[in-house]
Amino acid sequence: MLLRIIVWAILAFLLVPLLIIILFSFHASPALSFPFAGFSLRWYEELFGNAQLASAVIKSLTIALLTALVTLLLGATASLAWLRFGRAGRGMIEALTVTPIALPGLFVGVSLLVLFAQSGTQLSTATIVIAHVVIAIPILIVAMKARLALFDPSLEEAARDLGASQMQTFARVTLPLIAPTLIASAILAFAVSFDEFVVTSFVAGTETTLPMYIWSMMRRTVTPLVNAISTLALFFSIAILVASWLIGQARRRSAIAGRLEQLEPLP
Amino acid sequence: MTNPRTIIEIRDGKKVFGSFTALTDINLSIRQGEILTLLGPSGCGKTTLMRLIAGFETLTSGAISIDGSDCAGTPPERRPVNMVFQRYALFPHLDVFENVAFGLKVKGMPKAEVKERVSRMLQIVQLDNFANRYIDEISGGQSQRVALARALVNGPKVLLLDEPLAALDLKIRQHMLAEMKRIHTETGATFVYVTHDQDEAMILSDRVVLMEKGRIVQIDRPEDMYARPKSLFAAKFLGETNLFDATVSAVNGIGTTAVTPAGIRFIGAETADRQPSERITVSIRPESLSFQDGEAATQSAEGTVEDVVFIGSRSFYTVRLDDQSPVRIQVQRNGRLALPSIGDRTRVYWDSANVVMLPHS
Ligand SMILES: Nc1ncnc2c1ncn2[C@@H]1O[C@H](COP(=O)(O)OP(=O)(O)OP(=O)(O)O)[C@@H](O)[C@H]1O
Ligand SMILES: [Mg+2]
Repeated sequence: MLLRIIVWAILAFLLVPLLIIILFSFHASPALSFPFAGFSLRWYEELFGNAQLASAVIKSLTIALLTALVTLLLGATASLAWLRFGRAGRGMIEALTVTPIALPGLFVGVSLLVLFAQSGTQLSTATIVIAHVVIAIPILIVAMKARLALFDPSLEEAARDLGASQMQTFARVTLPLIAPTLIASAILAFAVSFDEFVVTSFVAGTETTLPMYIWSMMRRTVTPLVNAISTLALFFSIAILVASWLIGQARRRSAIAGRLEQLEPLP
Repeated sequence: MTNPRTIIEIRDGKKVFGSFTALTDINLSIRQGEILTLLGPSGCGKTTLMRLIAGFETLTSGAISIDGSDCAGTPPERRPVNMVFQRYALFPHLDVFENVAFGLKVKGMPKAEVKERVSRMLQIVQLDNFANRYIDEISGGQSQRVALARALVNGPKVLLLDEPLAALDLKIRQHMLAEMKRIHTETGATFVYVTHDQDEAMILSDRVVLMEKGRIVQIDRPEDMYARPKSLFAAKFLGETNLFDATVSAVNGIGTTAVTPAGIRFIGAETADRQPSERITVSIRPESLSFQDGEAATQSAEGTVEDVVFIGSRSFYTVRLDDQSPVRIQVQRNGRLALPSIGDRTRVYWDSANVVMLPHS
């Protein structure tokens, strides 16, 4: 009983602020407190009329997309290396790529900034993308590792045995089998990039991404606009989650399903 | 088999992994059209030998030639051999048809011909109704046949099968053994078959290659290997046998006589390479012992019946000889002959033709 109360309390603690933000994003008055003065879409209208916000959103989407693409390319390469390497090689990839997860964003931000300054690189969209890739790669590797461990290398041998060259084997067997894993990982990279704030603020220069715009907006006054943006961002995140879940469903015949299927008949 | 052609030749093959010698002194000629089994306990190097032939591993020293040409440096995709993997390694993202078509497609065969050949192959393995199923929608036995078809459709000169039935249960296994023989006859390919199941090896093979710890210990027809094992390992690995430690007492033109410490005398027909007072091990199969002194059964020992087990038309007796060694005897039940019961004193007979003398281990 007590346990049940605690669970509900925690859920309420997590969900009530969300619900309040959603509720007040439809509030007819600028007041951020009860009593509730009726529903209206005025904040959303104002949002869509806001050119600065629109450009911040477009900037963030562009950066997230580029980050996802670059991460996908690097991730695919890393995962192929992963499949080829033995235990020692895998340990090395892991040590090199996964370490940044443990580093504080502050540290990553400062060191990237120093790096860009030292090399004379102009801070721009490109530097933001580089920073986001640095953050997303380790997350991607962690997400992919578990699935790739189940990839059955004898499938590649079978392809070679049947006359496929290395390139054909990659195109016809390896890639189709790891594609769902790669795409799901790329979506994750997109999501990470879209709301990254700490590191971005170091390397953004004069650029403004959506999280930075919201933050600057809130520094002035907390307007109900923020509620509307947050609500949209929330539903966008949910959409991304659903998309990656759907891809997970399509994974049925991918490397993993195949492996499980083949393990099954054994005693 | 008249004047069989050699399709694969391995000379002085040796394979070392790091500091571990997986295979050594491998000399083997595989004949065109035969079913050759590699038989041996787990870890003796069967899969490694097969992977060397397929091109997934390279010899540390020695040479392999396929169809007359040395294949060092030839990658797996350019060897005229195909492999059926132990766990089939079927492509989970392709259906049965596409799995079987894979090899033909990567070689760039026209679509119509691919379709025709794959359909014919699916008929041979009796899977024509399953062409559009995915790999996770078919049974273990069907997967096995897909794997077989996927390899055979390429018309390999040699088909390598690595324990293809190990993942199946006993009943399907027996059925698949018969299938395998039928498909072998139908396709005329050379089969190299890995197993650690001696029954499979006996049923299927034209010749058996017995391996132990990375070496080939004997190559023979299954019936010869069973009747004339060349080592204690071979005698014990194939079928059941009774073993006696003995010392050679006489070697003459007729045969070799050996005596156990308790005084049981064995006279073997062979005379080869035996020295008086050499220590040997005598092997006699349970079915070569009998309770009747037949015309040829000239040797015997006395003992007491300890146990009897009836299996259908056969009975297995355990008799403790007077030197305390237990022997197993298999007799065909036959109404006319009186057989002893538990506790009876009895005499056990054997024939010198069935006495196998082996080097002492
Ligand atoms: N890539 C490798 N690296 C190191 N050792 C290996 C490698 N491949 C095989 N071995 C070793 O070589 C020996 C022979 O292995 P192999 O797989 O050929 O045995 P096997 O006869 O097929 O056994 P099983 O009946 O269990 O399949 C084993 O001791 C194995 O550990
Ligand atoms: Mg093996």
